[in-house]
Amino acid sequence: MYKALDLFDIDQRLIYVRNIFIFSLSLLIIGLVYFQLVKADEYVELASGNRLRMVRILPPRGNIYDASGVPLAVNVRTFDIKGYPMDLRKEEDFERISSLFVRHGIPMTPNGLKESVEKQYVAPYRAVSVATNLTLAQIADLVMDSDFSEALFPSPVWRRIYPGGALVAHVIGYVGEITRDELEDQRDLYYQAGDIIGKNGVEAMYEEDLRGVVGDQVVEVDSRGRRLRDVNYNDPQKGEDVRLTLDLAAQREAARLMEGRRGAIVAMDVNDGSVLAFLSSPTFDPNPLTWGISSKEWDALREDKDKPMMNRVIGGAYPPGSTFKVVTASAVLMEKVANTRSTVFCPGNFQLGPQTFRCWRRSGHGTESLLGAFRDSCDVYFYQMSLKVGIDKLTEWGQELGVGERTGIDLPGESRGVRAGREWKRSRFGESWYQGDTVNYSIGQGFLLMTPMQLARVFAVFANGGRLVTPRLNTDKTPESKKVGVSRENVDFINKSLREVVERGTGRAAGGYGAAVAGKTGTAQNPHGDDHAWFVGYAPASNPRYVAAVLVEGGGSGSSTAGPLAAQMLSYLLEHD
Amino acid sequence: MVFESTYGWGEIRMGLDRIMLTAVLCLFALGLISIFSAGVGVMSSNATNVLKQAVWGVFSAVVYVVILRIGYQNFVRAGYWIYGGSIVMLVVLLLTGSASRGAVSWFRIGSVGFQPSELGKVALILAMSRFCSRYPPDTLKRLVISLLITGVSVGLILLQPDLGSSLVYCAIIFAILTVAGAPGKYLGGLVLAGVFAVPFFWQTLKEYQRLRLKVFLDPYIDPQGAGYNVIQSRIAVGSGGLWGKGFLRGTQGRLHFLPEPHTDFIFSVYAEEFGFIGAVIVIVLFSVLFWRILRAAFRTKDIRAKLICVGVVAWTWFQVMESVAMSMGLAPITGLPLPLFSYGGSSLLMTAVGLALAQSVAISPVRGKLTMVVSQ
Repeated sequence: MYKALDLFDIDQRLIYVRNIFIFSLSLLIIGLVYFQLVKADEYVELASGNRLRMVRILPPRGNIYDASGVPLAVNVRTFDIKGYPMDLRKEEDFERISSLFVRHGIPMTPNGLKESVEKQYVAPYRAVSVATNLTLAQIADLVMDSDFSEALFPSPVWRRIYPGGALVAHVIGYVGEITRDELEDQRDLYYQAGDIIGKNGVEAMYEEDLRGVVGDQVVEVDSRGRRLRDVNYNDPQKGEDVRLTLDLAAQREAARLMEGRRGAIVAMDVNDGSVLAFLSSPTFDPNPLTWGISSKEWDALREDKDKPMMNRVIGGAYPPGSTFKVVTASAVLMEKVANTRSTVFCPGNFQLGPQTFRCWRRSGHGTESLLGAFRDSCDVYFYQMSLKVGIDKLTEWGQELGVGERTGIDLPGESRGVRAGREWKRSRFGESWYQGDTVNYSIGQGFLLMTPMQLARVFAVFANGGRLVTPRLNTDKTPESKKVGVSRENVDFINKSLREVVERGTGRAAGGYGAAVAGKTGTAQNPHGDDHAWFVGYAPASNPRYVAAVLVEGGGSGSSTAGPLAAQMLSYLLEHD
Repeated sequence: MVFESTYGWGEIRMGLDRIMLTAVLCLFALGLISIFSAGVGVMSSNATNVLKQAVWGVFSAVVYVVILRIGYQNFVRAGYWIYGGSIVMLVVLLLTGSASRGAVSWFRIGSVGFQPSELGKVALILAMSRFCSRYPPDTLKRLVISLLITGVSVGLILLQPDLGSSLVYCAIIFAILTVAGAPGKYLGGLVLAGVFAVPFFWQTLKEYQRLRLKVFLDPYIDPQGAGYNVIQSRIAVGSGGLWGKGFLRGTQGRLHFLPEPHTDFIFSVYAEEFGFIGAVIVIVLFSVLFWRILRAAFRTKDIRAKLICVGVVAWTWFQVMESVAMSMGLAPITGLPLPLFSYGGSSLLMTAVGLALAQSVAISPVRGKLTMVVSQ
């Protein structure tokens, strides 16, 4: 049961509510009377010469240092000439300003200037850059000119330079002007058109740490645009410094070793994943890129047949060749299709139906156990064993060791490589996986593609007793690793085999440089030209500390070309710590 | 659910409150003019917003007429369902929506966005009218129940977080409860509870929301340029003077001193160009609109209809107060649209729905018989 509402009571309440509405609306009118009638003159005055201007003051970026504190990316002071869009509206403004700059040796066209101003435009009272990267001398010269417009003013800005230049270009990356897409994608509304942003490498990876906090200056100007006083000023805050695990001296050694070759060297600590050397060759000088280069120069750099912009260490995917045998061996031992004493007879080739797969040594190796197969890089042993393991288990163990997975290094643009397998081939080519594919796969040929960084990481597993480490460049990043499923016993056996390779086998060329190296050679067939030479190894063999992966594109044999380079890299690292 | 018969063209023509309709059309026309003005900048001029708004206007007009044909009674009957539907939409939005300007308040279908919080206003009014006419909130128990039911939608809006819209919801709830007979001491208690909740509430606000509120208290403390907006908007309104600067002659909007000139600060754009006279005309038009809606409320004998009218007035009134006061720097920036004025499809459409329900109440007495609530 409920009490019926009394209509009279409701109407009484309606009147009451209506009165509140009327009363409040009349308050609005009183407000309008005050602002639009009583104070109108004051506000008309304020609006007519809206005298407030805003200047964004960009902070210097954080510096980037190498492991021993050598600066790899720093800032230098240069000057921009700025102006407010509301003062730069008429055609003749653009013409007058550009002719002033041209007179002082700074190239500029009225249309180019207009475009640039429109691109940076946010609001008429927010300053935009008219000319950038001027020296103090140029500024002094310009300001003295009687034509120097009162609408313009010089503003100090920070420019990025890279003292390490080409040596560390692929690690540090470079900065550049933010693009339209980047502007639209930003989440925290930090940037405006014309801002500088990290484009690649550490500069992009740690952009949010490096960039700092933008300052703001609100100034009052007179009717001719001259600054009268500061209304508000917020200091910009410098970005945080980043200290890398990379060692510039080791990097220099890597560059010396790779001089005149295309390829990559990467060296890291086997225990904590600290990357000490990271060189992709050929390289490029990032300095001109940050200052802005012409599109012609940019195209030349991009279209260079040696691809200097490509980061071969993490972005180049190559067939790993015989270095992959450590993965196949792990699968063989863990799946128990063979033990360390099982042998295979190598007559120099392997028949699979109508197909013949050759061993690299035509005359054959005779009877080989796993240790011998590693030492002599006997292919037939791995051909036969891989068929017993099967492709599914092979890719499973590959995945366990990080094959076809990003290594997680703190750099953008990392390639996964290709782990391949049944599913992959079906979706990619619409074909089923053949046994011949498995045979090729077992020695790191065929569909399989890996990056030098991935291989260095795989080998570190056998150097550190079974942990897959995540490579890192920033010393602030906590070392990470995970235990892999390969048993300690088998890890130790493969480690022993890799020592055998250098002591008595195909890797002998990696001995004799001072360090006791353990590792594996690889010669990967390259459909586009000469074979790629690989060597991935670690040292000292008895108590490994560093792993190095060396790839020389078109370098021919892994044992003669890549082995000595890796050995010298490792020797250098052991001598210099 | 038994539906009542719909209204015929003849009934609509006979009962239509032409003054109410004229006020609505005048306000919409002035809004279009202001949106056009807001789109004309220094570097570029942009008429797409006006065209889009006009298309939404045509669509809204069709919906308006359809609602008049159906009659408000049928909407009240479906009130709980509509309210439930709006709650579901708000939940789905929270679970799937992507944030824009710090809040998740939009569904996007292609280029068309829709704000479920707008639909929620109408749903809330319908559900409350139905509930409070059946169970007047004159006892504490009933009051608490109606607060619990309505609190769900307010809570969901706050989670987005959309502070402005949740305040509109509160205004609607408070007005309907008041008229439906909630005792004065309870209403006073509600106000007190609201005041005591402020410090707690402050903790839940996002930084940008706190900044807006702080800037409202002192525009000159502003660290980020938010106070700049308050000052610039006040300059825009004040510099309009008695007669205004004239159509397309406003400089504050033109030079982009005003942020979001076509939505949040539309009244500033208008008041700068059309001055005190223009601003008062708008307020008078809104007053006429409210007067006619409340007149319809007095004339009907249907309690549900009375409550609908109060809800619709409370909703539009709150947004007018907030929007106009904000333009003078007398209220914090909440981003609420000025009804019928601000650019925005879902706001316009749902305002039209609310006003159509009020118009339907105005038409209803022509039935010649009283539509009494008969509960079976």
